[in-house]
Amino acid sequence: MANLNTKYKNENTYDAIVIGSGMSGGWAAKEFCEKGLKTLVLERGREVIHNKDYPTTNMMPWEFEHRGAMPEPIKKENPVVSRCYAFKEDTQHFFVRDTEHPYIQDKPFDWIRGYQTGGKSLLWARQVQRWSNFDFEGPARDGFAVDWPIRYQDIAPWYSHVEKFIGVSGNKDGKANLPDGEFLPPFELTAGEKYFKSFLKANYPEREIVVARCAHITGNQEFYAKQGRGMCQNRTLCQRGCPFGGYFSSNSSTLPWAAKTGNLSMQHHAVVHSIIYDEEKGKATGVRVIDAQTNEMSEYFAKVIFVNASALNTNLILLNSTSNRFPNGLGNDSGVLGKYMAFHNYRAGISGQFDGLKEYTTEGRRPTSGYFPRFRNVYKQETNFLRGYAAGFSASRGMVTDYSGIGADLEKGIKNPEYGPWRVGSHMMGETIPKEESQVSLDAGQKDAWGIPLLKVSMDYDQNDEDMIKDYLVEMAEMFEAAGFTNIRTRDDKRAPGLDIHEMGGARMGNDPKTSVLNKWNQIHACPNVYVTDGACMTSTSTQNPSLTYMAFAARAVDHAVKHMG
Amino acid sequence: MDRRTAMRQLAILTGGATLLPACDFSEESILAAYKQLNITASHKALIKKLTNTIFPGVNLIKAEEIQLEDFVLVMSNDCLNEDQQEAYVKGLKQFDGFCKDNFDKKFTDMGQIEAENAFRKSLEIESGNEKEEVEAIRHFLATTKRFAIQGYLNSEYFMTEIQPYELVPARFIGSKKIEVS
Repeated sequence: MANLNTKYKNENTYDAIVIGSGMSGGWAAKEFCEKGLKTLVLERGREVIHNKDYPTTNMMPWEFEHRGAMPEPIKKENPVVSRCYAFKEDTQHFFVRDTEHPYIQDKPFDWIRGYQTGGKSLLWARQVQRWSNFDFEGPARDGFAVDWPIRYQDIAPWYSHVEKFIGVSGNKDGKANLPDGEFLPPFELTAGEKYFKSFLKANYPEREIVVARCAHITGNQEFYAKQGRGMCQNRTLCQRGCPFGGYFSSNSSTLPWAAKTGNLSMQHHAVVHSIIYDEEKGKATGVRVIDAQTNEMSEYFAKVIFVNASALNTNLILLNSTSNRFPNGLGNDSGVLGKYMAFHNYRAGISGQFDGLKEYTTEGRRPTSGYFPRFRNVYKQETNFLRGYAAGFSASRGMVTDYSGIGADLEKGIKNPEYGPWRVGSHMMGETIPKEESQVSLDAGQKDAWGIPLLKVSMDYDQNDEDMIKDYLVEMAEMFEAAGFTNIRTRDDKRAPGLDIHEMGGARMGNDPKTSVLNKWNQIHACPNVYVTDGACMTSTSTQNPSLTYMAFAARAVDHAVKHMG
Repeated sequence: MDRRTAMRQLAILTGGATLLPACDFSEESILAAYKQLNITASHKALIKKLTNTIFPGVNLIKAEEIQLEDFVLVMSNDCLNEDQQEAYVKGLKQFDGFCKDNFDKKFTDMGQIEAENAFRKSLEIESGNEKEEVEAIRHFLATTKRFAIQGYLNSEYFMTEIQPYELVPARFIGSKKIEVS
């Protein structure tokens, strides 16, 4: 039997294991494979191959039975995922349904998941704003969470590394709180947005809108052709999967790139149960994996393990990886694993109209929008709440159709729409404060189909968030009014945390092993051959969309891991 | 043997002693395609009459040429919640009788102009004692119109011939000059 065991072990042994094939896992895989390491990527969902498994990508609107709407029985059975803006008839096959993978909401939390090759990288909104030192220095300056163990200069080269490869469209705006990157040509601001930008310049000199940087290819075609990707064609049907590879996803970019090296192995339907810790060696040696279809458990081994299962599932895996050395979860000497989680506050928004600029409209479609970088509490504390918010801002010219009649009148109305006023709108993206009570834990009794404890989620807004919402609405309404916008309407949709799909933390980075799980290289302090480079690693949330930062952490951490492998 | 056939045979056997109500839709078989709605071919014909009233084909093509009645029923069957669906079907089943009571003619017997007027007036009618009935009728008509417009604007005909949809625009212009009328 010894021989068999050795054979099994050899066959199941790799240089590196990456848990998760989404945004950050795809990056870890690409970097490992390029550096010559035999890499196994474990994906719990089904296989989705770029351009082969995008069943709706070329469908016309009228080819959808309900023209995009989701049938009521599906919404009723799946209230959580049905609240996600992108869960529609054309994309539903890329989302986890509530009924498939239950979890426990100690407090309302909309957990949006994509279990397939590429994870949510197929579905994301493709916004890639860099963090600045105003973000990395936030916790230390304002006295919350713990100090980030890195600063902007540590990650800046890795931002560049990632941006060049994924393709980022953006304008060099020279803003200290939104650093410029390696940009392909920007999308245009609309006439309405340019008007608001110049209005701000004249009236609020410390505030500015820019065109949001997005992971779309708008230039340097030859370079991206090597990945088999082409220019963005402005379809704005991204969530279906792009036949041109115009936006970045693991499926279109990092995973096929990794596969080309010959060093990539992928296992689908591979649900990671836990990470194996060897007490004698004092390190992790592999992972226990359950085949989602056969329910068989296997073990895979590697020198280094990257956990990129998505913020909450990474916490689940670490919490479920218990041993004599780590009875409360892998690397959880501090007791903070699963705690100090946070998210982005997307509850508030505002809309209005602008009656000027009658001689302009827009044409075609744009896969991004205007972006309002944070202006509150940037240089110093100036409000009764900590931190601040970024905001989306967009202005577009709508067509107005007269639907009031029936018969010949109605036909005339819809045949001859007229230009309406410019519609302006904004939504907030607020930083929330990680707190000990914002946490996930394993349920003591309830288990999933494979015997893994269900995750319990407990996160909520606090007074800081409520104050920030008020401030956003007051400030935006004041600016909208001063800019001459009318018919201004504000909203607070009271959505539950989670719907921002920016949940972060639980295995935060920090300098002190007593108060953090990961060090400045994303290694578990007490188990340094395990790295976490997805949302779970985040010490604070900033206001910027986080995926770019996860990808940069993944590339940086692989570089570190390979240089320090024994 | 379905119930209608059985009733007919019974009527023949009893020499016509069993009188079949002239217009009782419940004697017709239920359309399997819209099983949540529990409706018959006559109800579908009424929807078709309504969608043809909404889009009679004067400035554009007529609703029935793009089978708009099917879309309205698919949406009503699949995309309304239980309460909305209940009110919708109630309005649908009462509409012909409602028109007879208020306009002295069943909707299905009306010409285009009469039907348009009945549609408009039904939306405006003051609800007195029959508040619930009037509200169901209004809900039914408003929902039918909403789905009819949605289906029409998103039909292959409209999106290719009237306002062509571009699957691949390949451009975005943020400030495009237009003629101001």
